[in-house]
Amino acid sequence: MTSVDIIVQQLINGLSLGSMYALLALGFTLVYGIAELINFAHFNVFMVGSMIGFLTLQAFGLVGQETTLTGLPLVGVLLTGFAASMLGCGLIGMGIERFLLRKLSAVKGPAAMITTIGVSYVLFNVVLLTLGSDSKNFPNPIPPMQWAIGGAVLRVREVAIWAISLGLMGALTYFVSYTKLGKAMRATAQDPDAARMMGVEVDKVIMTAFFVGGALAGACGMIFGLYYNLAKVDIGFGAGLRAFTAAVLGGIGNVPGAMVGGILIGLIEAFAGQTIGSAWADVVIFSLLVLVLVFQPAGLLGRLAPNKS
Amino acid sequence: MISRRATIKSLLLSATVIAGAGGFGSEAQAADKVLKVGMNLSFTGADAENAARIGNGAILAFDEANAKKEVPGYTFQLVKYDDATPTAGQYDPAQAATNARSMISDKATVAAIGPQMSGAGKAMAPILSQGDLAIITPASTNPDITDPKFAAQYRPAGKAIYFRTVATDAFQGPNMANYMADKLKVKSVYMLDDTGAYGVGLADAFQAQAEKKGIKVLGRDKLDPKAVDYSSTLTKIKGMNPDAIYYGGVGQAGVKLAKQAYDIMPKVIKAGGDGMQSADLLKGAGFPAVEGWYATVASPHFDEAGDAKAKAFGEAYFKKFNQHPDDYTVTCYTAAEVIIQAVKDLVKAKKPIDRSTMRDAIQKVDLKTSLVGPVEFDANGDLKNKVISVFKITKDEKAPLDDPTAQYKYVGTAPMS
Repeated sequence: MTSVDIIVQQLINGLSLGSMYALLALGFTLVYGIAELINFAHFNVFMVGSMIGFLTLQAFGLVGQETTLTGLPLVGVLLTGFAASMLGCGLIGMGIERFLLRKLSAVKGPAAMITTIGVSYVLFNVVLLTLGSDSKNFPNPIPPMQWAIGGAVLRVREVAIWAISLGLMGALTYFVSYTKLGKAMRATAQDPDAARMMGVEVDKVIMTAFFVGGALAGACGMIFGLYYNLAKVDIGFGAGLRAFTAAVLGGIGNVPGAMVGGILIGLIEAFAGQTIGSAWADVVIFSLLVLVLVFQPAGLLGRLAPNKS
Repeated sequence: MISRRATIKSLLLSATVIAGAGGFGSEAQAADKVLKVGMNLSFTGADAENAARIGNGAILAFDEANAKKEVPGYTFQLVKYDDATPTAGQYDPAQAATNARSMISDKATVAAIGPQMSGAGKAMAPILSQGDLAIITPASTNPDITDPKFAAQYRPAGKAIYFRTVATDAFQGPNMANYMADKLKVKSVYMLDDTGAYGVGLADAFQAQAEKKGIKVLGRDKLDPKAVDYSSTLTKIKGMNPDAIYYGGVGQAGVKLAKQAYDIMPKVIKAGGDGMQSADLLKGAGFPAVEGWYATVASPHFDEAGDAKAKAFGEAYFKKFNQHPDDYTVTCYTAAEVIIQAVKDLVKAKKPIDRSTMRDAIQKVDLKTSLVGPVEFDANGDLKNKVISVFKITKDEKAPLDDPTAQYKYVGTAPMS
């Protein structure tokens, strides 16, 4: 491998990592933009998503990486896996809002945020006690095809992950920008009281944001499993913390900002691993976060809802 | 608050202890004196499967001894302690220290077996030393704990209390370096460790000997066991084009390393120590990722088709647990045998049986015909007869793919350094 090949390969690694962080960051940012709340349960909703994906693929009789599929069966299995994990996590997200946070909406202070931390631990321990703490061998039905780009290697798996992430981000952007519910979401983000007076069902909008955020976390859990062939009860904190950082870095509440932040952090992680050792990646990421917040407190792209104080 | 939490914790602990002890002691006669033996392994978390297999060795040994009334008037009771915690996901030194204190505070405990992990051993040894309780480890191989250089740290009370029925990483690492240089003709290697006590020590020992043997060490990286993505590190290593990578560490990082190293550099020789010899690795990473990995074990390889004693053990073990023993099952069985022998020696010498006499008796035990060869300890508690066995993961379609006794193929002993 020449040094150019290595750079290309690290770009591929970084983009794959980054697209996962970006998807996960979107969940933080959506909920924050609308409910002004940092949903720490998101960490482990993502982990539950990967477990649902794991159990779904296993239900199809797939074990490890040895059974690969092609054509319609592959698409069918993947679609079912994504549908199950997205729906499952979307419902968890919605449930957290409907049954816990809505009741706390009148309470001032950090009660709601603390509640999400509690939910996060409940999810973690439920999975720990039911499925155990061992590493699950996440089935991967995608054939191990790959292309050579010079000395670097691009695998089908990576292309699939980029395509799915881009597709989901595109769908979300369309949903927020052009649909009626999306408009209602933006209106709620700007001023919930005014939106309510204009006839927007604010409760429904907030619940939708939690559902969409959860569904994206579920999709991300599935993507994570397919990329690393791994599902484990403790994956939520590491990935979740970086995704949260990505959301803050890009400007929390700002949808394109979360994507930019996610990709940026993925690339930093890859190139830190190449140059100064992956153990130092966190130091770089969090130092950068502090610097950005000092000089650009609203994040790189600023907030989407500037009217709201 | 803290004390209340501690009480709850100890209550929970004693509940698991009672649950773990079920099955023992029930056959004891009222007149028998019960000798408790604490067994500390990582029964939950990333190394749980291995812990169960190791612990079964001691369960079998004490069950046999109780059934045969090997020491008349005494019944052995094995008390299980788990040093893994959910937050650590694997062994937790703080939990190991708590367990050591619990063992000490139970006056009926006269000896102990464990731990599985050197990081746990480092936390337990000073506490056990103060309590004068001897422990025999069937699996922890970090040399520092028994090294006289660190006596002030690990045996502050003076006497050796940490005995081993395995060799140490002072042999496991260097001997594997010899094997790589001599048998695999490796010219360059990249080092990885998982930042744990065992992993760092093993990698250090390997690296020193590799350099002596003329293997070029291209660099070294630390893998955070809680991180998931090692692809950037592995891509960097791939760019350096080494003949081999050597990983010092246990399963938590090992599973992810095996998966990603297979994707990124399938053809490079990959090797680790006994931390990579596990059912958890086969289960978590699976074929084809684990194919071709080398792993070592710091004991002679147990051959079930060996002599009569080996055959009898193999059959009895299979009958009881419906699986084949690992090499560390055998070292754990041997650790139990040492304890039983020490009690026998004390009874014969008409000495009282307490922690202090047990420690001295274990120190003097001389088992000529155990399953791992002659067992005698030096003044530091190390086994005198040291053997390092090398294994290569080679897929055996006929056996369960997560059965380490079938999927790890014994390829010989590693040359002594």
